[in-house]
Amino acid sequence: MIWQQLQSLAGSYPLALRGLGMTVVLSLISLVLGTLLGFGLGILRTGGNRLIGSAIGAWIDLIRGTPFLVQIFLIFFILPEFGVELDAFTAGVIALTNLAACFICEIVAAGIRSVPTGQVEAALASGLSRWQRLRQVVLPQAMRIVLPPLVGQYVLLIKDSSVVSAIGLTDLTRVGWLVVQRVPNGLLVFFLVGVGYFMVCYPLIMLARRLERRMGAVHGEVQL
Amino acid sequence: MIEFRGVNKWFGALNVLKDITLSVEPREVVVVCGPSGSGKSTLIRCINGLEAIKDGDLLVDSQRLGDPATNMTQLRTEIGFVFQSFNLYPHKTALENVTLAPIHVRKIPRAEAEKAGRELLAKVGLADKVNAYPAQLSGGQQQRVAIARSLGMRPKIMLFDEPTSALDPEMISEVLDVMVAVAEEGMTMMVVTHEMGFARKVAQRVVFMDAGAIVESGNPNEFFSHPKTDRSRAFLSKILRH
Repeated sequence: MIWQQLQSLAGSYPLALRGLGMTVVLSLISLVLGTLLGFGLGILRTGGNRLIGSAIGAWIDLIRGTPFLVQIFLIFFILPEFGVELDAFTAGVIALTNLAACFICEIVAAGIRSVPTGQVEAALASGLSRWQRLRQVVLPQAMRIVLPPLVGQYVLLIKDSSVVSAIGLTDLTRVGWLVVQRVPNGLLVFFLVGVGYFMVCYPLIMLARRLERRMGAVHGEVQL
Repeated sequence: MIEFRGVNKWFGALNVLKDITLSVEPREVVVVCGPSGSGKSTLIRCINGLEAIKDGDLLVDSQRLGDPATNMTQLRTEIGFVFQSFNLYPHKTALENVTLAPIHVRKIPRAEAEKAGRELLAKVGLADKVNAYPAQLSGGQQQRVAIARSLGMRPKIMLFDEPTSALDPEMISEVLDVMVAVAEEGMTMMVVTHEMGFARKVAQRVVFMDAGAIVESGNPNEFFSHPKTDRSRAFLSKILRH
């Protein structure tokens, strides 16, 4: 019987590939957009304008304090009530981009805050404009702090993308649900789904670890 | 060149600058000294707008600070500032530290800025450290790069905020030598320091501050040999004792 199931699974190969492709494409677009947006928000959040800073803070609290599934439902099912019709893919990209931007904003803001005040003062004293101070002095130093947790966050977001299957997008997780109806072996099917995610995430996990080790080498490792 | 007229500043309820009136002429070298917390760092940080003043007038190069017509970023390019803790950019080499502002603010072509930067680093005795990162340099070397960085903008005024206080004793003279050379070229300078040798050598005037106010000011030799007030006498006896 297991042999039959394996054969049937092999037949689902194209579907699985499509699901994997959807997961990768959705994650890639959302992570690129979310990174750009997250950096912009992180810079604004630390930019000194109280009002903008707390508005961004409030939005981030809201997004971090609600389940991603609920956010997707709100975008996909509630927005059409107000006349905004979105296809599932667009809704998925918007939801995941927003989630990514919120987490990345906090990582970037923490990185910027870690740059000593003296650095900004030195840049100010040389007459560098706001953008030049950011571009030449603050961001390069913040990036060393930002990079390892940023890559780690990418891994979490790729896994979070599985939630889009709830609005009917045929990503890797939804392919699992579809296949398991034909091949009634949940353990095997979702084991393979897990392998799919792992293949995408593992290189990033390795990258994050390397970046962290490089940071440690720069700052001198502390033995506990 | 620099003129304080009845300047006051508060940190919360603390009156850190009390009715400061002081004028520094072009090419003049003024040393500011006084006990810790007397407001001397705050005084020179006000000059390039790192601290804002509360009331009174502060004119720098005939421009009034806090005036909407004064372009602060522009004015800062005319004022070099050397920090106690150097504040070199750690991700940039000595040469890049020196050329950053000339290239991006003054819009000087890179090749030209690098040539000038090398000359400046040679002038402060660091011709062989052009490509070194700050972490590879000693404190004294870092501070000399910081001075070269400020000079790279060809400022009209140089401000020094305790430039040798964070240095090991054997490195202090290499930094002071550079500062003496800058002073002898006719730079307008305000220097917060307790280095009396430096003050005697190049300063036209010593300003003694205590509790946010200027208590005494005068010729260095006179001030160090015959301080007029009890507070300056008490201060000098403490820094002279060791």
